[in-house]
Amino acid sequence: MENSRVKIIVSIAVILLMAKVSVGAETLKLRHFQSVYADDKEVGFNSPEGVGCDEKGHILVADSGNGRLVQFTLINGRAMPDKEIKAPELSFPIRVRTNSKGEIFALDGRQKRIVRFSPGGGFIGRVDTADSPLPATVIPRSFDIGKDDFLYLLDVFAGRVLILTPEGKFSKIIYFPKGYEVISDLAVDAKGNIFLLDSVTATVYVATKGSGQFSPLTESMKERMRFPATITTDAHGNIYLADKNRGNIYIIGQDGSFKGEQLTMGWKEGQLRYPCQLYANDKGEIFVADRDNNRIQVFSTGK
Amino acid sequence: MRYRVVFGTFLFLVLLFAVAAFPADMYRLKPGAKGKICANCHVDFQDKLKRSFLHTPVKQGDCSGCHNPHTSSHGKLLEADPSRICQRCHEEIAPKKAKSTHKVVVEGKCTSCHDPHSSDNKWNLVKAGNELCFGCHKDLGQAVTKAKFKHSPVEKGCLNCHDPHASENFSHLLKTEVPALCTNCHKTDKPAFIRQHGDYPVAKARCTSCHNPHGSEKAAIMYANVHRPVLSKMCNQCHESPSSPTPFKVKSPGYELCRGCHSKMINETFGKNQLHWALVGKNGCLACHTPHASSEAALLKGPMIKVCGACHSDTIMRQESSLVKHEPVTKGECTKCHSPHASDVSLLMKNPSVNDLCGSCHGWGKHTSHPIGEKIRDKRNRNLSTTCLSCHRSHGTPYKKMIPFATSTDLCVQCHKQ
Repeated sequence: MENSRVKIIVSIAVILLMAKVSVGAETLKLRHFQSVYADDKEVGFNSPEGVGCDEKGHILVADSGNGRLVQFTLINGRAMPDKEIKAPELSFPIRVRTNSKGEIFALDGRQKRIVRFSPGGGFIGRVDTADSPLPATVIPRSFDIGKDDFLYLLDVFAGRVLILTPEGKFSKIIYFPKGYEVISDLAVDAKGNIFLLDSVTATVYVATKGSGQFSPLTESMKERMRFPATITTDAHGNIYLADKNRGNIYIIGQDGSFKGEQLTMGWKEGQLRYPCQLYANDKGEIFVADRDNNRIQVFSTGK
Repeated sequence: MRYRVVFGTFLFLVLLFAVAAFPADMYRLKPGAKGKICANCHVDFQDKLKRSFLHTPVKQGDCSGCHNPHTSSHGKLLEADPSRICQRCHEEIAPKKAKSTHKVVVEGKCTSCHDPHSSDNKWNLVKAGNELCFGCHKDLGQAVTKAKFKHSPVEKGCLNCHDPHASENFSHLLKTEVPALCTNCHKTDKPAFIRQHGDYPVAKARCTSCHNPHGSEKAAIMYANVHRPVLSKMCNQCHESPSSPTPFKVKSPGYELCRGCHSKMINETFGKNQLHWALVGKNGCLACHTPHASSEAALLKGPMIKVCGACHSDTIMRQESSLVKHEPVTKGECTKCHSPHASDVSLLMKNPSVNDLCGSCHGWGKHTSHPIGEKIRDKRNRNLSTTCLSCHRSHGTPYKKMIPFATSTDLCVQCHKQ
């Protein structure tokens, strides 16, 4: 009698555990919501490499091949073309982000400088790193802006992340981790944790807020990835990686666990070809600069 | 209970003894038959027994050391898988955590080098000396043979520097690391040696970054392509002075060091929209190039497919698994389509027009009647025109004609749904 009771309790515990594991492993799914192809004058995007949003819901597109930024406003969830931002200081934008004031920051691929615009699109100036520690040469490959408006600049020349205050002054430096190969992108989550993506080894590194160094968040994921080159995080702490060569998106948990892969390479809406910058807003929407399909795609997330 | 334990132990010992004793006379041969009974039928084997070196089991007449006289699941009635059978006796032939291992050893293809029965060469080698090695390493063999300036240890035998099975601590199967391997023969404290190397303390440097250990067409067995400052012994153009506490330290980091002489190339590179990011990374130009000398053109670190494949292994692997091979990729000519430093076009393509780039080899206007070009829109995406890449993937796919779908019907219905 005692034995059979124990067996029943153990069986129930195992079933409950399996159910929990199965729920935990449920994949976060990306559902295609809309694709944006052109501005209000029907000028089509040309190899757009960057995308970002501000807190008012404006979408900013780095329309790289056309040498401009294009701003859209979300009306009833639909992206309506708003305005074009062009400046001689920005001939080939490849990354775009905004701060809490709505100021726009864009990385110019040709000049390798970050350019700052007012919310209205007026040129303010270039991000200056002159007060940062040597070497004086800084080659930004990417950048991100934290919730506190600090700017995190990925300097691939010196293998470091330069952290600048909202006023643009040097604040802190964190060097790339030992043994890195090619760091392609960085992201800062809502808590202030900084993530680095090594494309060659398909490894994500993290420097938790306040930490002075990076450590591996994941092991090498090269077995399942080809060339992940872009990283972003959402409000729930999920990490998204876009695989340029495979045309899909991977989802990683805060603890580095692999939570699945979504989308495939292709031309149709909902498919990607050489995706570049990603952005995740607080509503759980993912924006993808779908470069070789000449469009921006928006996905909603859910289980 | 005690009786059971004693009996159990006794039974165990008897079984252990029986198992240990069995192989010694596994086939219960007739007295005097060992070593002779097989030869009754295999008469031609007598010739092998006349050779200078015999494999120990052969010498002992123990044919059943490797072969099963009755039946086997393996060819030649071998007792075990041919790739494993040698390991049964020669288990320690390669250290388990060797830094480098000879491929044939890993694959268990011992008979590529050794005759399992006998040979006129020491260690039962199938051929003597370098002839054996050059049987597989043909390109190296040809280069060594025709080299104008020869390295005498190579002439005397590859095994002067290499271990044929594995090297526990060193790459390339080396017996010891460079420069210790070199300084065994070359006395680095001689004034002439020091003078030749511009007074730099090269005794602790990597000799093979300039010298080809297998011989060369160039004096001092330098690699075929030598960086001009090295050729003119102007090491201090890049390095600190030889009297400095850090003589090998370079004067500037990354690509900035190279900019001094190669400013035109660097300026052109920085004038493009798309940069090959490796060029401005931690190793600068040395991500792909070697600073001193190379057997490859443009001082590449190695064959182009290996240099590019070091980071872009997925692209190279895609080609390898592709049903159809794209010739430039197979040949490792990545720069036929891509600009290695920078470009104004995505993927560092050499030509902004995909059709023109492909057309430079393929004459696409002739091979298909499908409308293609800037004015023909892709039905799947209004922002795209049709190009060769609308239907093909240049680094290959698992399908025919490098199309990204299993059948041409699957491809065509992408646009032509009706």
